[in-house]
Amino acid sequence: MRTENQKAWFFVLPVLILVAFNALVPMMTVVNYSVQETFGNNQFFWQGLDWFEQILRSERFQAALGRQFLFTAIILAIEVPLGIIIALSMPRKGIWVSVCLVLMALPMLIPWNVVGAMWNIFALPKIGMLGYFMNDVLGIRYDMTQDPLAAWITIIVMDVWHWTSLVVLLCYAGLVSIPDAYYQAAKIDGASPWAVFRYIQLPKMKTVLTIAILLRFMDSFNIYTEPFVLTGGGPGNSTTLLSIDLVKIALGQFDLGPAAAMSLIYFAITLAVSWVFYVVMTKDDHR
Amino acid sequence: MRKVLVPLLLLPGAALAQQAGWGNVGQQEETGFSWTDPLWPSFWMAWTPATLAVFIGIFSAIAVIGLLEGFRYRDGIERKGILGLTTTLGDRLFISLLGSAWIFLAWLGLVGQPIWIPLFIAIGWGIFVFWKV
Repeated sequence: MRTENQKAWFFVLPVLILVAFNALVPMMTVVNYSVQETFGNNQFFWQGLDWFEQILRSERFQAALGRQFLFTAIILAIEVPLGIIIALSMPRKGIWVSVCLVLMALPMLIPWNVVGAMWNIFALPKIGMLGYFMNDVLGIRYDMTQDPLAAWITIIVMDVWHWTSLVVLLCYAGLVSIPDAYYQAAKIDGASPWAVFRYIQLPKMKTVLTIAILLRFMDSFNIYTEPFVLTGGGPGNSTTLLSIDLVKIALGQFDLGPAAAMSLIYFAITLAVSWVFYVVMTKDDHR
Repeated sequence: MRKVLVPLLLLPGAALAQQAGWGNVGQQEETGFSWTDPLWPSFWMAWTPATLAVFIGIFSAIAVIGLLEGFRYRDGIERKGILGLTTTLGDRLFISLLGSAWIFLAWLGLVGQPIWIPLFIAIGWGIFVFWKV
C-alpha cells in the first residue's frame, strides 16, 4: 500500500521528541547503569553482565516473577469474562445507558494510591467494614495483614473492582457498533443466544477485546501503586510483586546496577508477552 | 628524646620510598582508551564507549531499515514467512533484536558468562529472521 501524503509525519514529530526525552533517555540510562556499579557521587565502575547473571539466578527474583505472573493470570481470567458478561447485560438504549456508563467509569476515575488506601481501610480487620463483617459477623478469619491468602484475595478483588470497567467499556463500545441487521438475521435463522454471541458479538468485539486484554496485561504486569499502598508487599514477601521488589532494590537498597538489570529483564518480558499477544490476536487480519 | 629521634631517622627512608613511586598508591594511573571506562565522568547518564556502541548500532540499524523501507522497497515489502507471520523489514528487525536479547538472557540465566556462544546464536537468529521469517 502506497501512501502519497507524507505530511502526517510532521504532526507526529512533537510526540516523537517528547517520547525521546521521557522514555528513550531514561531507557538508555538504565542500560548504562545495568552494566556498572555505583556507590553514589556519580561515580561508576564497570561490572559487565554480572548483575544480569545474579538477578536471573536469584531466588528472590524468580519468586517475585512467579507471583507477578500468577497475579496477572488470575486478574485476566476474572476481568475479561466478567467484563464481557457485564457489557452484554448493559442496556443499549434509553436513560439507563448513561447511568450505567457513569457507574462503570467511576472506579477508573479514582487515583491509584487512593484506591489502595480505600481498600486498605475497607479491608482492615476491626476498623474496616469488610474486615469487621468477615471476622465479627460471619466469623471467618480474614486478616490481610497476617494471612497471605487474605492479602492475595484483597489485592485481586481490588484490581477487579478497579479495572473490570475498562474491559466493560471497551466491549460495550464494540457491541453498540454492531448494526441491528445482524441481530435480525440471527433471529430469522433462529439462532440461540450462544450462537449470536459466538458468531456475531464475539467477532465484532475482537478488536476492542484485543486492546482491552493487552492494556490489562501490561497494566497488571507493571502494577505497583495499589498493592504497595494496600499491603506493602506483605505479609512477609507474599504479595511482593515484581515492581515492588524492583523499587525495594532501587530505592530501598539503592543498588542501582542490579535494579537496572532487573528492570531490563522486566522490560524484555513485558515486551515479549505483549508482542506475542498482539501477533496472535491480529494474525487473522492479514489473511 | 628517643621518641623524636626514631621518626627523624626514618624520614629519609620515607622520602626515598616516595621517590621510588610509593606516593602514587591510590592515584589513578593514566591508561589508554578503554571500552569500559566512563566516557564523560561527571555526566549522570554514565555512558561508556561499550554501551554507546550498542546504541549507535541499534539506532543505525533502525535508520538503515527505515531508509530501505522508505525508498527502496516501498511496494510489496510484506511477506509471509515460515512462522506464518506477515512481516515487514522493521518487524524482522524487531523480532531479531528482541530474540537476541532473550538468547543472551537465557544463556546468562542457564549457563553464565562469557557470552561468545550466544553471540553467535544471536547472529544466526538474526540471519534466519531476515532470511526466512
